[in-house]
Amino acid sequence: MSHADTVAEIRDLRVEIDGRAIVDGVDLQVLPGKVTALVGASGSGKTTTGLALLGEYPPGARVTGDVRLTEGGLVGYVPQHPAAVLNPARRVGALLHDIARPQARHLPRTERRTAARARVLQAMLDAQLPDAEALLRRHPHQLSGGQQQRVVLAQALLLGARVIVADEPTTGQDALTKSRIVDQLAAVAARGIAVVLLSHDLDVVQALADEVLVMRAGRVVESGPVERLWLSPRHEWTRRLLEAHDAAPREEASAGQPVLEVRNMTAVHDRTTVLRAPHLTLNSGECLAVVGRSGSGKTTLARCLAGLHRDHDGEVLLDGTALPHSLRHRSRAQLAAVQYVFQDARAAFDEHRPVVAQVARTAVRLRGAAEQAATDEALTTLARLGLTDDMAHRRPAELSGGELQRAALARALLAHPRVLICDEITSGLDTVTRRGILDLLAGLVRDRGGLSLVLITHDQETARLAHRVVVVDAGELVEQGSARWVLEAGTGLRT
Amino acid sequence: MTDTKSLRRHTGRLSLGLAIVAVPLLLALLGPLFAGDPGPRAVSFTLGGGHWLGTDFVGRDVWGQVLLGGRTVVLTALAATALAYLVALPVGLVSALTHLRRLEDVLMRPLDVLLAVPSLLLILLVASVFSPGAAGLALLVALVNVPDAARIVRAAAGEVAARPAVEALRMQGETWWRIAVGHVGRSILRTLAADAGIRLTGVLYLVSTAAFLGVGVAPDASDWAVMVDRNRTGLFVQPWAVVVPALLIVALTTGTNLLFDAVLEKKGRRP
Repeated sequence: MSHADTVAEIRDLRVEIDGRAIVDGVDLQVLPGKVTALVGASGSGKTTTGLALLGEYPPGARVTGDVRLTEGGLVGYVPQHPAAVLNPARRVGALLHDIARPQARHLPRTERRTAARARVLQAMLDAQLPDAEALLRRHPHQLSGGQQQRVVLAQALLLGARVIVADEPTTGQDALTKSRIVDQLAAVAARGIAVVLLSHDLDVVQALADEVLVMRAGRVVESGPVERLWLSPRHEWTRRLLEAHDAAPREEASAGQPVLEVRNMTAVHDRTTVLRAPHLTLNSGECLAVVGRSGSGKTTLARCLAGLHRDHDGEVLLDGTALPHSLRHRSRAQLAAVQYVFQDARAAFDEHRPVVAQVARTAVRLRGAAEQAATDEALTTLARLGLTDDMAHRRPAELSGGELQRAALARALLAHPRVLICDEITSGLDTVTRRGILDLLAGLVRDRGGLSLVLITHDQETARLAHRVVVVDAGELVEQGSARWVLEAGTGLRT
Repeated sequence: MTDTKSLRRHTGRLSLGLAIVAVPLLLALLGPLFAGDPGPRAVSFTLGGGHWLGTDFVGRDVWGQVLLGGRTVVLTALAATALAYLVALPVGLVSALTHLRRLEDVLMRPLDVLLAVPSLLLILLVASVFSPGAAGLALLVALVNVPDAARIVRAAAGEVAARPAVEALRMQGETWWRIAVGHVGRSILRTLAADAGIRLTGVLYLVSTAAFLGVGVAPDASDWAVMVDRNRTGLFVQPWAVVVPALLIVALTTGTNLLFDAVLEKKGRRP
């Protein structure tokens, strides 16, 4: 690696607080037009290293080592929470013009205004902020998190930064916003600016980085080009990071028979078209994730399939026979075949009756089971999903959200469905509970041969469970493909 | 500690409500059995002279009139309230649970028209044409109460019907009856009970007013409301003939509300 053209360099950096090293012996070269990623768990020293490029250290830190920038090598920093660095009282236009105005001072008085304006617009264009005129009039709180991030980026570009340090830019963002952030950082790098990416999101790192440094407990355990690291990690820690990342996605399902098929669906809400789905199939034994931002129309798609949203033309075919649009007109067998689990489990239960009684009703109504047999089956199913007899006999108010979501799954499963639609069923739950529910779903698809799952989610981790992923954006199905293809390679996300 | 305290307060309110409501109710329902012979008429508006509460405007014994005069008021009011709900509940539930806009319009719009007519005006108008008896009055009062009650049922049920729980019940293939009565009806019970308390009071008031104005009862009938009206002229000579029936009507309405409050509070506290 040629060291001649580095714009910034860190050599043997050691940062100590109260005698404890939080960064120890880190070397880093930042090359123009390249993306260097620092990867590691939180607390591994990524941010401290990134901030060292700006000459910032935690208060009371003892610093040894060398941080060198090339002449005029300004470093811009895009923090994880960009709102914190934007003055909330001033409009975006004012924030950017404050930087641009001094830069236009050398020009004749009459030209300064237009020149400053031009610089601002150019910076916004470079930061991938379209519709600049409208954005300039807004206050920071009127922007989305992604837009705030890009405004901070525009500020850095306007200042003429040669290095941009992006701290966890994709944390907490949905898949599509993530892909936009990836695009925007790639565009910045393409302009010859060095990008230092601090992230634990390996999808983004793989999509973006040229060089990767894997950090653990303040030390760089391995570094190298991204392809080499991904294909043949040398350090045991790197291998574990990548394994944990790769564990979830599974191989393509063996091509089953199509169970559910959507044809030419256009769903409307109060005369506004909210979803267009020309064609979509679900095979038996397959797990299909429908991802998209809130308001993208993914829930409407699920509700159309389940018969909860009747305002659509087009057809939903079950085994080649069209299903009535409204579930009120579906036969018992049709109802049993396509079951739906609601996002808010608490709201989906009758608060007056014990859970087990409500779960058992599915078998009674949809399969004609006897009262006692249905209750027994309900108790067995609930037990298998981790709800004890005692819990099953309680009322919904006496169960936690996770327990209720399990009960809701049991209620749907008692219909012996062929298709189970899960609408954001993990979104209100803490991570441990969420993990438990996801494992449960994975087990269901594995064990119940022929059960097909439709997962509506904005969460990548949940989508990883699926064989195939459909991306919905602004009411359109923008991408369909295998989970690996859409989520890993990011093809589908860059739309 | 606070629990037992609040429980005690709650029990107190419940028994107070029961006590207040029991006096007029028992008098109204059982009074006629103990009224006995009306006896000879005495001088109007006198006190004493063998008459415990004095005499009224035509010289009848006031106590005897009180015993006789409750049954019509109380029964008419109770019947009218029950009748109003008998119509309002199905109308409200059907229009809340249907997805057919037209059906909802067919059910609710005529009631809105009825709602626009002042209830007392309607009663007086109909009374002047048909001169209804006590049963007719109950029907009339029920009729003017149907629109309000139906709207309240519709609004409360509409909120419940939009919840995922109802969609989940449909997903299970539950019958309309189970969804409408078993779930929605049960969920709006608190609202309905609160409304019933107010409605009964309103109906009592309306029945009394109608009687007061001479609708549904004879001008010298034994009726608490009529007593208040007719004996007004002797209020300062013989106050009991007005005060006692008036207090009984007040006790009935106040007691009913207290009772409903106490019962609802008990229901609300249950987990």
